Amino acid sequence: MSTPLLSVSNLSTSFFTSRGEVKAVRGVSFELRAGEILGIVGESGSGKSITCMSLMGLLRSSGRVIDGSALFEGRDLLTLDEDELSALRGNDISMIFQDPMTSLNPTLTVGEQVIETILRHRKVTRAAARARAIELFELVRIPSAAKRLRSYPHEFSGGMRQRVMIAIALACDPKLLIADEPTTALDVTIQRQILALLKELQGRLGMAVILITHDLGVIAETADRVLVMYGGMVMEEGPVRELFARPSHPYTRGLLASIPDLRDDTHHRLTPIPGSPPDMLRPPKGCPFAPRCAHAMAQCNAALPPLYDAGPVHRARCWLHHPQAPRVAGITAELVPA
Amino acid sequence: MTDRMTDQTVAIEIAPEMWVPATRDGAAAEYIAAPSLTFWQDVRKRLWANKPAMLGLGFIILLVLAAIFGPMLSRHTYFEQDLKLSNVPPLFQTYAVTDSAGATTRFFFNSGNLNLYEVTPSGEVAGLLRPAKKDLIKKQQQFKFGDREVVLDTAKQQLSFADGAALAPGGWQWNMSNLLGTDQLGRDVLARQLYGARISLTVAFVATLVNFFIGVFYGGLAGYLGGKADTIMMRIVEVISTIPLTLYVILIMVVFNSGFLSVVLAIGSVYWVDMARIVRGQILTLKQQDYVAAARTMGASTPRILVRHLLPNSVGPILVTLTMLIPSAIFIESFMSFIGLGVTPPEASWGTLTSEAVETLRAYPYQLFFPAAAISLTMFAFNFLGDGLRDALDPRLRT
Amino acid sequence: MTAYVVQRLLLMLVTLFAIITLTFFLMHAVPGGPFTSEKMLQPEIQAALNAKYHLDDPLWLQYLNYLRGVLSLDLGPSFKYAGMSVNEIIAEGLPVTMKTGALALICVVALGVPLGIVAALNRNRWPDTLVMVIATIGVAVPSYVIATVALYVFALRLGWVPTFGLDDWRGYFLPVFALSGFWISFIARLARSSLLETLQQDYMMTAKAKGLKRGTVLFKHGLRNSLIPVVTVLGPVVANLLTGSFVIEQIFALPGIGRHFVLSITNRDYTAIMGITIFYAAVLMVMIFIVDMLYLVLDPRIKYRADAK
Repeated sequence: MSTPLLSVSNLSTSFFTSRGEVKAVRGVSFELRAGEILGIVGESGSGKSITCMSLMGLLRSSGRVIDGSALFEGRDLLTLDEDELSALRGNDISMIFQDPMTSLNPTLTVGEQVIETILRHRKVTRAAARARAIELFELVRIPSAAKRLRSYPHEFSGGMRQRVMIAIALACDPKLLIADEPTTALDVTIQRQILALLKELQGRLGMAVILITHDLGVIAETADRVLVMYGGMVMEEGPVRELFARPSHPYTRGLLASIPDLRDDTHHRLTPIPGSPPDMLRPPKGCPFAPRCAHAMAQCNAALPPLYDAGPVHRARCWLHHPQAPRVAGITAELVPA
Repeated sequence: MTDRMTDQTVAIEIAPEMWVPATRDGAAAEYIAAPSLTFWQDVRKRLWANKPAMLGLGFIILLVLAAIFGPMLSRHTYFEQDLKLSNVPPLFQTYAVTDSAGATTRFFFNSGNLNLYEVTPSGEVAGLLRPAKKDLIKKQQQFKFGDREVVLDTAKQQLSFADGAALAPGGWQWNMSNLLGTDQLGRDVLARQLYGARISLTVAFVATLVNFFIGVFYGGLAGYLGGKADTIMMRIVEVISTIPLTLYVILIMVVFNSGFLSVVLAIGSVYWVDMARIVRGQILTLKQQDYVAAARTMGASTPRILVRHLLPNSVGPILVTLTMLIPSAIFIESFMSFIGLGVTPPEASWGTLTSEAVETLRAYPYQLFFPAAAISLTMFAFNFLGDGLRDALDPRLRT
Repeated sequence: MTAYVVQRLLLMLVTLFAIITLTFFLMHAVPGGPFTSEKMLQPEIQAALNAKYHLDDPLWLQYLNYLRGVLSLDLGPSFKYAGMSVNEIIAEGLPVTMKTGALALICVVALGVPLGIVAALNRNRWPDTLVMVIATIGVAVPSYVIATVALYVFALRLGWVPTFGLDDWRGYFLPVFALSGFWISFIARLARSSLLETLQQDYMMTAKAKGLKRGTVLFKHGLRNSLIPVVTVLGPVVANLLTGSFVIEQIFALPGIGRHFVLSITNRDYTAIMGITIFYAAVLMVMIFIVDMLYLVLDPRIKYRADAK
């Protein structure tokens, strides 16, 4: 296995508010190989967006990375200063956001917003940057690209704006694209188009993608590997097929059960997970999911479980995987002994 | 993968009783850490925590009480004149002269009008002292206290005995008959201040209320009717809002002549545009909400929907606008009075008081202090309260 | 684009027309008539005066005549100053009012906006606190109080500036300061809150995520957007500088239009009151139009919305 493009270990981020320290991310570790699509899935507040914002150095003022490292091509992103980071952002690592309606500056033409990115990172003339912008618009399939450069964001539909955002993100051939809920704010049909486009461009340009979403369906269609986050921690990680076939954490199982399956004509009732996420101001001592978990045991409230192997490339943070734990069908039945 | 190794090495022994299902109370799963407050509880809590706003509120309450009860308690009236005791300061340096018979006279020198006033031991101003002789060429006045003579040099503003020895002041004394002094017509400044507060506040509150009713009615109607009526009504508002309203207050004052009622009418009829806009905006957003549709399908009548459902939800922004309207009304009233279009003399408002003080600014600069301080502090108080209310009501600031 | 300009122009004309009409009828609603408030005139003199000023015509005819006059930029004769027209009164006061007003407007923009920016960028640190304290004072203390206190301290006590008149360049300090104080504070507060809000916007995050330099993010993406609300209030600012000049010109004894206006009110010079009001309104309409055009340049969404209507 070659060295990964990005290797995050023990990332911890907190927000220091008037009410105290909110531990949004608590020791997240993962790796990303070049050209790989990693899905990060979790409910809102699970820390998935904060994880990526921490990597990009884009935390809001009250947020701070308090521990960990994030090696990107041998450099630790968390120790770079603002100048070094900004030279990296939009260049080697770029990002697209959830709401294309508000993510573009309403008072600048979309062309300008693409061109300024190119001019920031490449030593090219304005004309060359413009030509590149047209090329990018064609790449993301915005019709009559040259003409549309002069339009303002409000003259575009939501889907088209997200295409503009993608064009901006791809402007400097990034090695890593972080897509933070790129389709959540869009209509279902547009969602599919944008996802297909992302996947196609990823294949063509060979970049790595981190896809943040709360929608396991999106992950299933797009990602290679999945990270399931809850309470600021990684709960389960593994290849998409593996994780969908053998969810090894009760939380993942819950998530999967709450997806309506149209192909399934047995009319299962949709089962939402009861309860709400933990208060990160005072995170529980044990497993953060324990209060909502159907299989919770005394041990779960007593101590935080480590990440256990649930397969060769599949891990889950659940006490049920402890060698002495009772077996639970569907989660640990096929457990491969460590 | 360092992480995995550390995790797997924690193959700790765990006691068997730890593997029993966890006991839990039903509420634990739904537990929400922050105690949930209703909207208004939250607003109140945050307003309480806002010190400038509470200070402002406290000041306003005190001011209103003073304006209501102050004139009743004062022993002077706002119109009673005493030209002999005009422009008396609230604080002065007293001199004492004792004649050979042992009778002591205390007095102070008013440098603004070059008069000597006798002061009683308790600090009351007893009256003007008449000079025994005036020498206009040497600019000297002679005063007789029994068998002693005091010479006042009006050019040098010095007091000396007949033998040339300078008279030393005997210390500061607060004016006990007119706590804040008197104005150029000898009227008690404190009484006029209190009365002025009464007028200014009444104008402000009444005018604001008039604006409030017009604005809520107009905006509510426009928002509720919607469609063409709304478009036309809002066009009218747009036209009105581009007109310089102060000019119109002035014109209305010209037509109706100065006076308390005209001021109220002029201010009250002009500044309702913002209120109308806010109410309309609120109603337009609320109209789309389900509970209004629900009320409508249940057969609630239009006025009932307006009063029971829409207005309570618009209370926040309306309250803020009202709090901000009061100081502008106070300001406009004082502005009008200042240029001579407000209440008519001898009535007083903070504007007329300031303007009167400006006339005597050279000789008695301190007279400006009280009306200027009163109006500025009141503006502060209302601004702080308004800002505090707005912050407390802004849900975006909720954490 | 054109739709928006035409729309604004139309609104401006309608407003101006409304103001002329309202002013005319208000002034003719004054009980009695323009000459009754003074000492009783002999009936024949009254009649002659009425004839001279066409006051015996039916009201609608007077109105049409007045409207025609205004359209040909003639605001009629002054009632009180024989042989002087309202146009001449305005022309006499205009330079003074223009100069102080323009200086005040420059101060408002050139001081208010930077102060607001400094405060926003140093949120909750001492520069912010300082600016906000000053701005709070500026918003709360009425202009005439600022003016008189400043007059007493700087002119009477310290003698740094003359107490009245504009013959000396230092004479401009106090009137301009008093005139602009409130609006500098107001704009500073507005610019601060607007910039703070803009900094929270998603597109600011995008700009940072694109790797743009801090200055570019702030000035190109932040400032421009946060200035839109500031530009919107410039129209009312001009209106208030104009009306504010009434007291300021009185306090500092400046022979500007504001002082003439107040004088014509005390003199009950109805044609002058009417004429100056209309003049003010016209100046204001032009300013608001300019602001609207500025707004168009700053915010492309306006154009789009107007055209879509």
